[in-house]
Amino acid sequence: MPSFVLVAPATVDAAIAELKTGSPGEVAVLAGGTDLLFDLDGAKAAPRRVVSLRRLPWRTSDWNGPVLSVGSTLPLRSLENDPELAARHPGLVDAIRAVGSVQLRHRATLGGNLGRAAPASDLLPILLALDAEVELVGPKGVRTLAVDRFLVGARRTRLEPGELIRSVRFPEPRPSAYLWQRVRPANDISQVAVAAAFSPSKRSWSLAAGGVPPRAVRLPDAERFLHSATPSEAEIRSAAEHASRHLEIATDRRASEDYRRHLLDTLLGRAVRSVSALTVRAR
Amino acid sequence: MTEKTLSLKVNGRPAELEDVPDSERLLDTLRWRLSLKGTKEGCRSGDCGACTVLVDGVSTLSCLTLSHELNGSTITTVEGMRDDPDGRRVQDAFARAGALQCGYCTPGFVVALTGLLKERGSRAPPPEILRDLAGNLCRCTGYSAIVRAVEELAKERT
Repeated sequence: MPSFVLVAPATVDAAIAELKTGSPGEVAVLAGGTDLLFDLDGAKAAPRRVVSLRRLPWRTSDWNGPVLSVGSTLPLRSLENDPELAARHPGLVDAIRAVGSVQLRHRATLGGNLGRAAPASDLLPILLALDAEVELVGPKGVRTLAVDRFLVGARRTRLEPGELIRSVRFPEPRPSAYLWQRVRPANDISQVAVAAAFSPSKRSWSLAAGGVPPRAVRLPDAERFLHSATPSEAEIRSAAEHASRHLEIATDRRASEDYRRHLLDTLLGRAVRSVSALTVRAR
Repeated sequence: MTEKTLSLKVNGRPAELEDVPDSERLLDTLRWRLSLKGTKEGCRSGDCGACTVLVDGVSTLSCLTLSHELNGSTITTVEGMRDDPDGRRVQDAFARAGALQCGYCTPGFVVALTGLLKERGSRAPPPEILRDLAGNLCRCTGYSAIVRAVEELAKERT
């Protein structure tokens, strides 16, 4: 593995200053490190300076009324055994459990997952379906971006030089679900993953797909087929078929295009039915 | 490369290590500096769980963790399991069930399961424990005896 200098600034300002000491290829940000260290070993990345966020006060999760704010460096495992979170954001907990393994989730973080923007991330689809926002802090101050806007493509985000992800905000609790298909339940990459959520305030559905390179996507055209919290089977079929037919999907070594279309159709239908059942139970 | 002192507590003993490169992983520090060869290198990419150790009581992949990120932490490897009440129970359950074939994955399984007992308490149902052990691979496919050890542990608690 290439050698580098590891620094762990004690303040946010010092961390931002560290990022400005080199170009993005030269300076890497370390949160949990589970994805970055994998790349370092494969020599896919060769930074000369690694900036650890371990001393920043971002290992938090707070409710402010309906709004959940998760600090970017909180290990994912801290979220998954929280009964309140499971009741208010069931799909988010399902998605977190799909990331790596327990050992990996003791270090992996929400901020790291967003910042690294892996094309097959198991968290990005549910973040899209829950209309999550990222709060960024940088040399010019703080700004907030919807995750859909923050993501550009595979491994590409709208993070500007010197910017860090401080937290992720979820605007309201939503009945939600996250489903995936892959070869091995743990430590594997989903061939297709889907997220579905129903917004009680907007009375509307949000659907998203992952494992469909280059990046996780919302499925607005499919969402339009779903007209109520408990859509008819015909509406569900139309939404799932529309998405599986029209989304741009590629073949790669993990799955063929045909298989992915089949999975998308099946998993979307199941996810919507499961969320619909949750909305019935909540009444 | 800067090389600085690393302070850890490993299996109950303080370890002050000089000149540890910033890029060194905990797996290599344990195996090559401290000669604790019980922690195995399987895939070195977080897929197999063979390198699992406890960091402040919590199961962690030592292959995907920089040693200096853990400065000041308490590390427990499979060599420290005998001195840990949960670790001892897990080891005894594995021994009784004959839950190993070649044995390469065993340290990772024992440490991961010990971490789960600490985290979830004694009441966690075996299906949930097994779900949470999915990050550990046994390339001999000797899973049925491992499942039996987990089930035996659950019975012992009630």
